[in-house]
Amino acid sequence: MSQFLPILLATLIAGTPLVYAALGELITERAGVLNMGVEGMMVTGAVVAFAVALTTGNLWLGVLAAMVAAGILSLLFSVLAITFRANQVAVGLAMTIFGTSLGSYLGKPFVGMALVLDPSQAAGGFAQLPLVGLIFSAIHPLVWLSWILFAAVWYFLSRTRAGLALRAVGESPTSAHAIGYPVVRIRYLATLFGGAMAGVAGAYMSTVYASLWTEGLIAGRGWIAVALVVFATWRPERCFAGAYLFGGATMAQLFAQSAGIGVPSELMSALPYLATIVVLVLISRDAALMRLSVPASLGKPFDPQG
Amino acid sequence: MLQLNRRNFLKSAAATALLAGTGLPALAQGEKLKVGVIHMGAISDTGWEYFQAQAWRALQAEFPDQVEVTVLENIAQIQDCERLFRQLSTQGHQLIFGTTFSQYASLKKLAPTLPNSHFECCAGIDAGDNLGVFEGKHHEGTYLTGIAAGRMTKSNVLGWVGAFPVPQVIYSLNAFLLGARSVNPDVVLKVVWANAWVDPAKEKDAVAALVAQGADVISGSPNTPVQGLAAEEKGVWSIGSTGDFSAYVKKAQLVSFELDWSAAHIEAAKGVLAGTWEPTNRWRGLGDGGFVKMTTSSPDLPAEVAAEMATAEAAIIAGTLNPFAGPIKDQAGAEKVVAGAVLPDEEIKGMTWLVEGVQGTLPSA
Repeated sequence: MSQFLPILLATLIAGTPLVYAALGELITERAGVLNMGVEGMMVTGAVVAFAVALTTGNLWLGVLAAMVAAGILSLLFSVLAITFRANQVAVGLAMTIFGTSLGSYLGKPFVGMALVLDPSQAAGGFAQLPLVGLIFSAIHPLVWLSWILFAAVWYFLSRTRAGLALRAVGESPTSAHAIGYPVVRIRYLATLFGGAMAGVAGAYMSTVYASLWTEGLIAGRGWIAVALVVFATWRPERCFAGAYLFGGATMAQLFAQSAGIGVPSELMSALPYLATIVVLVLISRDAALMRLSVPASLGKPFDPQG
Repeated sequence: MLQLNRRNFLKSAAATALLAGTGLPALAQGEKLKVGVIHMGAISDTGWEYFQAQAWRALQAEFPDQVEVTVLENIAQIQDCERLFRQLSTQGHQLIFGTTFSQYASLKKLAPTLPNSHFECCAGIDAGDNLGVFEGKHHEGTYLTGIAAGRMTKSNVLGWVGAFPVPQVIYSLNAFLLGARSVNPDVVLKVVWANAWVDPAKEKDAVAALVAQGADVISGSPNTPVQGLAAEEKGVWSIGSTGDFSAYVKKAQLVSFELDWSAAHIEAAKGVLAGTWEPTNRWRGLGDGGFVKMTTSSPDLPAEVAAEMATAEAAIIAGTLNPFAGPIKDQAGAEKVVAGAVLPDEEIKGMTWLVEGVQGTLPSA
């Protein structure tokens, strides 16, 4: 059982970027917008965060810069896909290609540089407090901030008026528009939030997880986040659990390999995608389930004049 | 280096296409030999492509007035590589380099059809018509780093992070353990496969998993400094395999070896300049003009261990020591190489089995 704690810690570390990216994408999709640019936004966020954290020595400035950079990309996405009503899948894919290339370009001067941040610095003044300081040193603030994010997203969607409005926009933008909700503005805000969270996920990857930038750092985690939202059937609590399930699966197989337990590691690497396909098949078989889970207007452009 | 953009490239391609003759024309007085290189990845990746780039940089430095190098990087699609190989040839590049195994099949097909150029492919399997190949004997490097690992380990458990179980990685890790066992017979090597050429975060996790299993010297087939940084974080030694990462891994890098392709590029260019180029199959390790170079060692490496490594290095260069000299058993205990014999090169290049003492499995193909 001495094996258990390192796996648990590693799972927390591996699941965290998925929590941010998937919860952000969940909000975007619940408003009826399908953003497939998460991977590209994560790459851009990772580079920008790394560059800023390296030059300023401050992690939080890096995270903030990543939110802004990925936010700009999602704004670009919104202009094309929401205002001009271009095909969301196509624009999303373009954003991934653009964001990945932009990241490679911006990251060139920083390749292979190691980022050494004082861990207590991330905690700011809290590190001085007795018990809190201990928690801060064991679990990175970005990890437990993702738990707070989960609680906030869950509360927002299920307990607030604004969350209800967002869901209404995702289910039936025409009705939401008729009763006076600003559909386009809500979709913009939801997409912007999703982009900013993808930025945080990228920032976590480059500044905390790997503490360096190199091409291929994100390695498809943005796509796993998109798959995770489907896997979770657009429910925050399943999304949260799924992030650790997918993160943990990778960890478990690495630990199993090193402990000499034979697992087909290639299969484990494909697990998130396989699991998503299974869930898709299951919910697609039943029209009632499908209606309950997928935001009805997902991926469909809305024309307020229409 | 020529600054290339698409427009200039096409313009000059069109111009030279008109001028291209047949056969390799001798260079006119004062005319430069044009060399072309196509990288499938970005040069800045601190790993494989970076060392490929170091080679043509060395070539430029060697012949500043006689050679002009055209470099294309980040040509990820093999179809684009093929198109650009043809284009480089019609532009009058008389020597063209491929940098990865992934380009080998295309070059094998293209080289006979483009007699205006000579081709060389790094990590290719076998020389062909108008195509030379060159590859490093990684196992000579890992055997030596293994000696350092075997001496420095306290737990007698070493760790290896593998990208994919291709023969090159398999013979590297086997030789790593054989080197370690040559000085410390009790050592075992735990292997974890990342199933990715570049996934730094996963590499880091793999290191954590190995350390949790007691490994206190980590090596592997990395293309990034991540493994070293992860090892440093965990307070264990790391080894720079096919790259020196001491610039990033300040304390934990024990020893390292690099791949140095300069000789491959310079010799090929000399051959073309002299008109004596032939398709060759160069597979070299340590020594002068070799492709494997021991680089740094930590100030914490005891002098006697450094001396042991140096002795073994001299013996490998002299041909008196072969990392794959028998007796060698595989994981199951079956004798693969009998005492007094050495494993033939072809069998090393196609290795699909793990030596005794490796703990881990090969993902079934």
